[in-house]
Amino acid sequence: MSDISVPAHGLRSRLHRSATDPVNILMLLLLAVLAYLVLWPFIQLTIETLTWSQGDRRLSRDAVPGEFTWFHWLQATTGPLSTKVLYGPLINTMITGIVSTILALLAGGVLAWCVVRSDMPGKRWLQPILTLPYILPSFAIALAWETVFRSPKVGGQPGLFEALLGTAPPEWLSYGAVPISITLAIHYFPFAYLLVAGALATIDSQMEEGALISGAGRLMILRRITFPVVAPAFAAAFILTFGKTIGQFALPFLLGAPTQYHTVATMVYANLALGLDSMAFVLAIVLIAMSLVAIWFSNRFVGKKSRRFETISGKGFRSRTIALGAWRWPVFTAVAMFSFTVGILPLILLGVQSVMLIDGFYGLENLTSHFWFGTSNPEIAFGEPGVLHNDIILGATWNTLKLAFISAVIASVVGLVIAYISVRRADNPLARALDQISFIPFLFPTIAFGAMYLTLFAEPVGPIPALYGTFTLLVLISVVSRLPYSVKTGVTAVTQIGKELEEAAELAGAGWGMRFRRIIMPLASSGVLSGMMVSFVGVMRELSLIILLITPSTRVLMTVGFGYAEEGLSQLSNALVLIVAVLTIIGELILMWIGKGKMARLRDKQS
Amino acid sequence: MAKITVRNLTKRYGSATALNNVSLEIESGEFLVLLGPSGCGKTTLLRCLAGLETPDEGEIIIGDHVVFSSKNNTMVPPGKRNLGMVFQSYALWPHMSVRDNVKFGLDVLKTPKGVADERLDQVLDDVGLAHLDGRYPSELSGGQQQRVALARLLATQPPVFLMDEPLSNLDARLRMDMRVELKRFQSDTGATTVYVTHDQTEAMTMSTRVVVMKDGEIQQISPPDQLYRQPENTFVADFIGMPRINLVELNAEDGRATSFSNGDIRVETGWAPGVQKVIIGARPEDITLSTDSGAPGEDYQISAVLPNGPETIIQLTKGQTVMIARVGHDTEFATGQTVKLSFKRQSLNIYNAKTGALVTPPDMGVAKAG
Repeated sequence: MSDISVPAHGLRSRLHRSATDPVNILMLLLLAVLAYLVLWPFIQLTIETLTWSQGDRRLSRDAVPGEFTWFHWLQATTGPLSTKVLYGPLINTMITGIVSTILALLAGGVLAWCVVRSDMPGKRWLQPILTLPYILPSFAIALAWETVFRSPKVGGQPGLFEALLGTAPPEWLSYGAVPISITLAIHYFPFAYLLVAGALATIDSQMEEGALISGAGRLMILRRITFPVVAPAFAAAFILTFGKTIGQFALPFLLGAPTQYHTVATMVYANLALGLDSMAFVLAIVLIAMSLVAIWFSNRFVGKKSRRFETISGKGFRSRTIALGAWRWPVFTAVAMFSFTVGILPLILLGVQSVMLIDGFYGLENLTSHFWFGTSNPEIAFGEPGVLHNDIILGATWNTLKLAFISAVIASVVGLVIAYISVRRADNPLARALDQISFIPFLFPTIAFGAMYLTLFAEPVGPIPALYGTFTLLVLISVVSRLPYSVKTGVTAVTQIGKELEEAAELAGAGWGMRFRRIIMPLASSGVLSGMMVSFVGVMRELSLIILLITPSTRVLMTVGFGYAEEGLSQLSNALVLIVAVLTIIGELILMWIGKGKMARLRDKQS
Repeated sequence: MAKITVRNLTKRYGSATALNNVSLEIESGEFLVLLGPSGCGKTTLLRCLAGLETPDEGEIIIGDHVVFSSKNNTMVPPGKRNLGMVFQSYALWPHMSVRDNVKFGLDVLKTPKGVADERLDQVLDDVGLAHLDGRYPSELSGGQQQRVALARLLATQPPVFLMDEPLSNLDARLRMDMRVELKRFQSDTGATTVYVTHDQTEAMTMSTRVVVMKDGEIQQISPPDQLYRQPENTFVADFIGMPRINLVELNAEDGRATSFSNGDIRVETGWAPGVQKVIIGARPEDITLSTDSGAPGEDYQISAVLPNGPETIIQLTKGQTVMIARVGHDTEFATGQTVKLSFKRQSLNIYNAKTGALVTPPDMGVAKAG
């Protein structure tokens, strides 16, 4: 920079000015807070795995609490249990992750092509149904799977499969790698679908028409033009989807734990449940490492390739739909049946099961509204009252809405401020650091992030009280985990606000606070509002992030539902998951109504 | 009112120098235009005056106040400099109505409601937008948006107006009308005005003085007519005027101080510029053409005839030398014709070819072109 040639007094005056600039003060403050909430927990977690703790006395006679040790890492990597604790789950994670990602990408890619590029009828209402599985809490699909394929061999009542066919499903279909991969694929294919659809929507048909004129056939165009152009997006979608699946906890837990099939994520939870905290933290770090590697690959790949394939030139852009001809209706039928099976059927199954008195017996005489409206009856479900009469659940509902609302508002406002700083002060290295640090939570698998906060806020540090078990801690982690998204939304919003709009206000004498309040906030509001809604829905259906931090007084719907599922009270858990599902669908509908939802944006691109 | 003084202003962006030691005095009530090609530093200078950029060195005084001084660590924020600005994009706040846009500045000054309303009504009426005060910027035409920006500037009655290419987004016809109006508002208010443009017609028609800039340095400060007639260097000569001035490099002929040639043509200056190599600058309208073979001058061949409404542009060649002449629209010159070309000697500018600087004659004698 030119600062070197500036006389000393000029430099001093600039320092003085920057020290009193409210934006700079805010920037430093946010940097400090985020460093403490994002970087420090990771360091703390790492230190924890390298230190003897009080509880380790029962594991080893050499344990000296507080001293440095490689014990936990050695135990995980070379100890007698390493196969069961680390390598087995690692392999399981890789298998379910890769298989489910391939399935999700296949389904998502084909559907994206049908919706974006073909003249398939009924796109308008098929699209929202296709995104339903991603909107629903992930373990809703696991519960629905269980409802059908539950095997009495593992205990509990038979599922729909056995009730209809009279014979129990094979165990590999009930629990383990197969159901986990399939349900993960069902949950994540809309994610892949959105990514690929976004890429497909940017293809200029003129590229394909060029090939058409040179005499290429339809399949050849697809193979030689369309696919290579979306290939980078495809690769990125693969890696991002994979990164998401490995962090999934509740779904593999419900479909794997009954037969001791563990992934790294479920192993973190299982170890914590056994009080083996340090081992759990080692696994959390392994999980983070996997995620980092995946994201690094994705960035490398996308960064290098996609720029070359930059297709939006603005001028003369046209997107032509491809006529399916005689295949029009068969394709429609297939897509419609698929979206019904993955989007609506699970909800129906959960609904039906939640009104059955004795699980697994399908008959009119077995129907009851007890699990919804009933009061406590010691003969049913250990005396748990129906969800709408249950104080725990009413409290959890209130907590859920409160948590989602407060976190969404704070995350959006803080996200907007960070976005503002990183856009308007792009030449300041500290602003860039702030932008990057706010993105880091995206790299942490959620259950590992939860584990970090477990260690960080267990005891008071300086002026910061011990937050374990408090509602504040849930808000903190929810806000921080939403920041990567809300900052991104904010950056889009702020970038669209011309700098001159603010300068005009500055010339009129408005201070930074007034400019932010009266110019930036109102102009960014529509984007930020939809971002807020996305966060609201996201926090509401979040489980793995907070499952480790929940105490009886801070229960939310998802953790209560998970608790019931763990105890085998499937009707109650189903009822709860349905409530969350309905709430999130309402949230998504509001989003679509705002007109800034993912689908709406996609439609805009197409038209 | 407010006089503006700029002293030794320097502004760098990294290794690039946007303003290099610029000094300038702007008289109170003056309409000063900053003119130059893009990237010349004119907008940077304006933004430094506004306080939107912080210069690296130098001093800016507006009225009686030092608003920037690198020596005294002074940097008065934009809002406290008591000036108004119209941006190239107008920078109207899209979420506020016309009235609220104009009112914002009064809000910041905490003007009492009654006074503010009266002022608003008057300003909106002045710019002819009284009937549209409830509309939003996106519901207005380009010209109307321009008026809102103007009203916003006028509302707080600042003694200094800053304008950054305010008319560049308007179509040609509207631009003409707005020039007249801007000029009227400026002379009505008597505000010292600094106006940035790259459009020389705008500069010529509106200014009391023009500052031509290039690469962060001031090339010339003159009233518009002098800028046109006597560009102080070849850059200014070439930059001002459309079609461009004829600049031809010539060498002194052996043993003669007043006669120059390049092999194709010869020019008699009638006075001694005192350098070996000169560049002569002749405006296209300072060239006289004649079909009469007895007329003074040299024979040129017409290589193109370009009619352009009230005038006709004629391109002529003699050997490697090309000249552009401007004649009336009723000309009968045709391509291929050979004509006599002569210069109006008193309008000829002579530049030192090495430095590009204007060489002024000791007296303005009239002599025949050679």
